[in-house]
Amino acid sequence: MLTWVKMAARNLARHGRRSGFTMLAIGLGFAAVNVFSGFTDYIFSGLQDTYIYTQGNGHLSLFKRGFLGQGKADPTQYLLTAAEQKGILEVSGGMPDVALVTPQLDITGLLSNGEISTIFVASGRVPSAVRAIRGQGPASLRKVGLFNGKQLEDEVTGGVGLSSGLASLLGLGLGSDAVAMAPTVSGQINALDIEVYQTFESALEAMNDKQMIVPLGFAQSLYDTESIDRVNVLLKDTRRTEAVRAELERRLAARGLAVEIRTWQQLSPLYAKVKDMFDVIFMFLFTIVFIIVVMSVINTIGMAVMERTREIGTLRALGMQRGGIVRLFAIESALLGLAGSLLGLVFTGLTWLVVKIAQPTWIPPQITRRVPLEVHLVPDTVLLSLCFMVVLALAAAIPPANRAARMNIVNSLGHT
Amino acid sequence: MALVELRQVCKRYTLGETSIDALKNVDLDIEPGEFIAAWGPSGSGKSTLCNLIGLLDEPTSGQIRLEGQDPFGISDMERSRLRNCRIGFVFQGFNLVPVLSALDNVLLPLQIRGRVSQQDKAKALHYLKRLGLDNHIGHRPQKLSGGQQQRVAIARALITEPALVIADEPTANLDSVTAAGIIALMRDLNRQQGTTFLFSTHDQRLIQQVDRLIHLRDGAIEADDRLAPEAGPAVQSCAA
Repeated sequence: MLTWVKMAARNLARHGRRSGFTMLAIGLGFAAVNVFSGFTDYIFSGLQDTYIYTQGNGHLSLFKRGFLGQGKADPTQYLLTAAEQKGILEVSGGMPDVALVTPQLDITGLLSNGEISTIFVASGRVPSAVRAIRGQGPASLRKVGLFNGKQLEDEVTGGVGLSSGLASLLGLGLGSDAVAMAPTVSGQINALDIEVYQTFESALEAMNDKQMIVPLGFAQSLYDTESIDRVNVLLKDTRRTEAVRAELERRLAARGLAVEIRTWQQLSPLYAKVKDMFDVIFMFLFTIVFIIVVMSVINTIGMAVMERTREIGTLRALGMQRGGIVRLFAIESALLGLAGSLLGLVFTGLTWLVVKIAQPTWIPPQITRRVPLEVHLVPDTVLLSLCFMVVLALAAAIPPANRAARMNIVNSLGHT
Repeated sequence: MALVELRQVCKRYTLGETSIDALKNVDLDIEPGEFIAAWGPSGSGKSTLCNLIGLLDEPTSGQIRLEGQDPFGISDMERSRLRNCRIGFVFQGFNLVPVLSALDNVLLPLQIRGRVSQQDKAKALHYLKRLGLDNHIGHRPQKLSGGQQQRVAIARALITEPALVIADEPTANLDSVTAAGIIALMRDLNRQQGTTFLFSTHDQRLIQQVDRLIHLRDGAIEADDRLAPEAGPAVQSCAA
């Protein structure tokens, strides 16, 4: 076998320029796939970490059954009561995979500066729990400043955060006072004073003129209820999300609690849409790379077969079987694929290094602030694409190699 | 039993609507240890005869037997094995693999068969040494002269200890001194090892050395002359 590998390698080296161009095509294809995969991995992991940690939503959210369906028209009819909350906290808090459990109540209403009023959409959270969730996130995300001003506090329920657009619309700055109004769960209008503790950029540009973050106590006071609309669960390991969801669902059902559990993927529409979009782009890119690699290899091996017709005839005359001829060119092609992939690995590494050193930033669609642009090195994708390129190169060599193997020996020997 | 038997062998080539009979009803027996040449003008059927006996091509009709076996009644795979084991080839253009050293070229038929042992390497070195190539073992063909390349090709043909070596115009691309050396070398190997040699040639120097001369004309045997009948040593058996 070593002789055939040696022979294949030497034949590639003998036609250095042609082999080099084919390796370059494979290498660039490999790098294109891996750099793009590295970029999408950065996007996906960024979206994942932002949803789970930065926004403090955790991995799982538990809702009263019906909240996500009929409850959209009248959410107050599908709130989790204090007794249900207690049951959920007991069950989920007792699971070893669970790191933290925290309640949430989203509210809507009007915010007024005394002269003008505008709609707000607020998320009522336990500030200390949200901070604890952020603390579990990646170090790179913990360093990012999320707001101007001071932190919200569990006990100071009137201290709230406003999206910069909302604050600007109402002419509110840090320390300003305003009034939030909303109907309670029983339908009466309620109003509470707020003080602007912080301003922040909404993750979604469309929400930047209406988003608020308020302590859970404030949201419950404004709605005049002890209920919540969901319980967020942070897990110790993201990979356990689905397993814990199933187990939690089983345990809660056994306890007689009618809840629906959604994972972070299900609740982050941006993640799913972005993933779908990148999957389609990847398919286009992959198809182009596939065609380039296959055409390059077929061309290279086809030329080699043509140039070495007499050699093929000689080998057949010396007793090499047809399979041996196919194997010879398949090895040559696999070596091309391997060398091209290794070249591509170097290109990918260089791209990663340049991005790492240059630290470019960009503003992704629907995001209001500049974020660092990264390209991740994804070992699984690198290994998979290396194997794929070798197999693809090998497969692409089969038609010309088969043609070589089926040549008439006498005609091959007479070929000049 | 004859090493090679041809009975009423015909070979017809068809090119479009034109058919050419390259061999017509050829009957021929080649005995083990013979040093035999097929000669005749261009297009007389010498190379076709060599190709059929070398199992490189199939007859249109008639029967060929190699060591009593019908080589065309078996699969291509088995025929390849038979060629590898029982037949050695020496080509006019040497046909060495350019990316392999002289030693690797000699070992090529054994490599095709499977693993190459240290014993095989020793045998290849022995042949190269015997053919005066001990200083060129690691050289690739482009570093060797025509005569040296042909000697490597002869060593390659002999490494499997075949029953028959077929040499198609082996001296055509060599100068007269080198050609004479190659002819003498093959004659020695025939006498010492008993290897059967079948040549297709125009070379008078080679023709003068053979035991038997088959004169072909228009695809038929015109004359079959035994020039210097000599009993060679017994043919060595080939390890399958």
